[in-house]
Amino acid sequence: MTKKKRFGVSTALTRGLSETIHVVENNSGTFRNVVLPLSRIELDPDNPRKLALNLTDVRIGLNKQDPLYNQKLGELERLKELMATIQSSGVINPIVVYKRGELYRVVAGERRCLASILASKHEIDARVFNEKPRGFELKLVQWIENTAREDLTLDERIENVRDLLREYQQQNNPTEVTASLLRELTGLSLPQATYYVVVLNAPADLKAAISKSEIRSLDKAAILAGIEREDLRQQAIEACIKGSSLKELRQMISQQRDLSKKQKQISLQDKQTRSLSRRVNMGSTGQVAVVKEIVDAILGQARYQKYVPIFSAIDWAHVKHSALAFRQLVDILERELVGQI
Amino acid sequence: MKIIAFVNNKGGVGKTTCSKIMAEYLSKVKKMSVLGIDFDPQCNFSHQYLQMEIDPVAPEGLIPPIHPDYNPEDLEEMDWEGRSSIAEIFYGQGVVPYPTYIENLDLAPGHAERLLAAESVRKTEVVEKVHKQLANFLNSEDVRAAYDAVIIDTAPSKGPLTISVMKAATDIVIPSVMEEQPVQGIYGMLQLWMQESLIREKSRPLNLVGILPNMFKQTRLHKDLLNSLQGNPAINRYILPVKLNQRIVYAEVDSEEANPRSIFDFPDDHIAKKEALEAYQHIAERIYS
Ligand SMILES: Nc1ncnc2c1ncn2[C@@H]1O[C@H](COP(=O)(O)OP(=O)(O)O)[C@@H](O)[C@H]1O
Ligand SMILES: [Mg+2]
Repeated sequence: MTKKKRFGVSTALTRGLSETIHVVENNSGTFRNVVLPLSRIELDPDNPRKLALNLTDVRIGLNKQDPLYNQKLGELERLKELMATIQSSGVINPIVVYKRGELYRVVAGERRCLASILASKHEIDARVFNEKPRGFELKLVQWIENTAREDLTLDERIENVRDLLREYQQQNNPTEVTASLLRELTGLSLPQATYYVVVLNAPADLKAAISKSEIRSLDKAAILAGIEREDLRQQAIEACIKGSSLKELRQMISQQRDLSKKQKQISLQDKQTRSLSRRVNMGSTGQVAVVKEIVDAILGQARYQKYVPIFSAIDWAHVKHSALAFRQLVDILERELVGQI
Repeated sequence: MKIIAFVNNKGGVGKTTCSKIMAEYLSKVKKMSVLGIDFDPQCNFSHQYLQMEIDPVAPEGLIPPIHPDYNPEDLEEMDWEGRSSIAEIFYGQGVVPYPTYIENLDLAPGHAERLLAAESVRKTEVVEKVHKQLANFLNSEDVRAAYDAVIIDTAPSKGPLTISVMKAATDIVIPSVMEEQPVQGIYGMLQLWMQESLIREKSRPLNLVGILPNMFKQTRLHKDLLNSLQGNPAINRYILPVKLNQRIVYAEVDSEEANPRSIFDFPDDHIAKKEALEAYQHIAERIYS
């Protein structure tokens, strides 16, 4: 029999096509594009503010008496670049707002608003939600529009993902945040989604570096987040800020890992670590027959006869079932022998 | 007034052929008053109905012929050089559609150089003007009063010209050959459809009529790719249940010497005519129901 070659559309493309269709079917007409006077814009006080700078500061200038003067001065300096591009070519992407009485409240695009005012613009392109946005849909739409933007910092992207996941959790039942969930929600590639999940849970020192925009690359941040030892991580973060490439960072980390492995072995012999002496690891096996043998041997004792029915439904051919059964057996033994629950 | 556009950022998939059949179906079979618009700098659609001329300034490009209504003696037309393309909308000038050899079909032809100029704008403010201009033109009272339907043939691109079509259209059809690259072109168009859909008012959605398999051959490649797309329920909702097979006669009627020049002038039992009638009847139902 000859084997016929089958052709098909790649899974990536199929996913891209169907996701796009879903977005349209679920979100059509969510907002409309308009040009808004900047005087009608208000920032969102409910949004955790990343900037100290506010509308008054850019409209009438900084006040030297302001306790946040220095911080604001720095922020102003960093807005200059965006201001220059807005001066030359306007805002590339409209900001997102919703109508609140006479004013429009910014959902996405604080920096673009502030920079536009600095650039002496009077209007700004905005997407106005036609209806009061619902949490998760809003975040998803923001996410979609943000994926096309290059001026977003890593910090803003991470924030975006965090909001998206939070809203999703609120609207649906709380579920564990995994890379594949994130991938499903956003259409990110699995590696990208994995990086985001890792970076979302990054230790404080790394988060600080990201929010100061000292670290701007997602994959570098993900690598750094994986370093457990604080001193090593701090070293790597510094190297990264100084401009180490991804490759250099990887090398540095693998060297440190080898080093710390050796150190670990030594310290183990030294101290006979306490944690080990408290619990006994019962070992592990891929041979389910071994598990069944142990379980049967114990249930065979008169004292444990009453537990036999519990184990009657176990499918011993199944590694997972067998593992659960063994865990249950250990629980029973602990209860019977020590009275522990 | 329905504004129906044929889009795919891959070339050679049948945008022009399908636009032409649509324009002829509505004007000849349905007796509607139709305006064809050629938004592709290559001007193939225009060349089907008009004797396009070589641009003396840009010899690789085409320009429309002198308009039959143009009268150089007429003092009121002093500032008109006698040619009119759809690209005039970008230059603040009026568009004067040309009559064609088909009774109810007028054409606003392309103009290679001027369309290319619109396609290559980069400055944000100018891009936005380009984006809005076609919609402005088609929303004007004159156009709405004169035509029942507008058919737009587009350039193989995702640039400003195609985006302006997305903004102006009421309905889009994506013709595609069932091969790898054209199918990727479908993705490009769905992205534009999404961007446009998100910002449109709910009351006037951009209707994706569907993906029209064209130049279909009973080969494993074509059949497998079609099956593969149909296998995904979301995508399958947008795969039209009709198609145009690969038939030499679709290419033959393109020629100026062809007789007849429209697929709908063949005898009723002609296989290609039957196929086109079935396909376009279905498409028209999806648009007009
Ligand atoms: N169903 C078909 N069968 C045979 N030839 C076709 C068919 N559809 C289109 N063609 C031919 O294929 C070529 C490309 O088609 P065209 O409509 O110009 O594509 P596009 O406008 O997308 O570039 C043309 O020569 C056309 O005559
Ligand atoms: Mg064409």
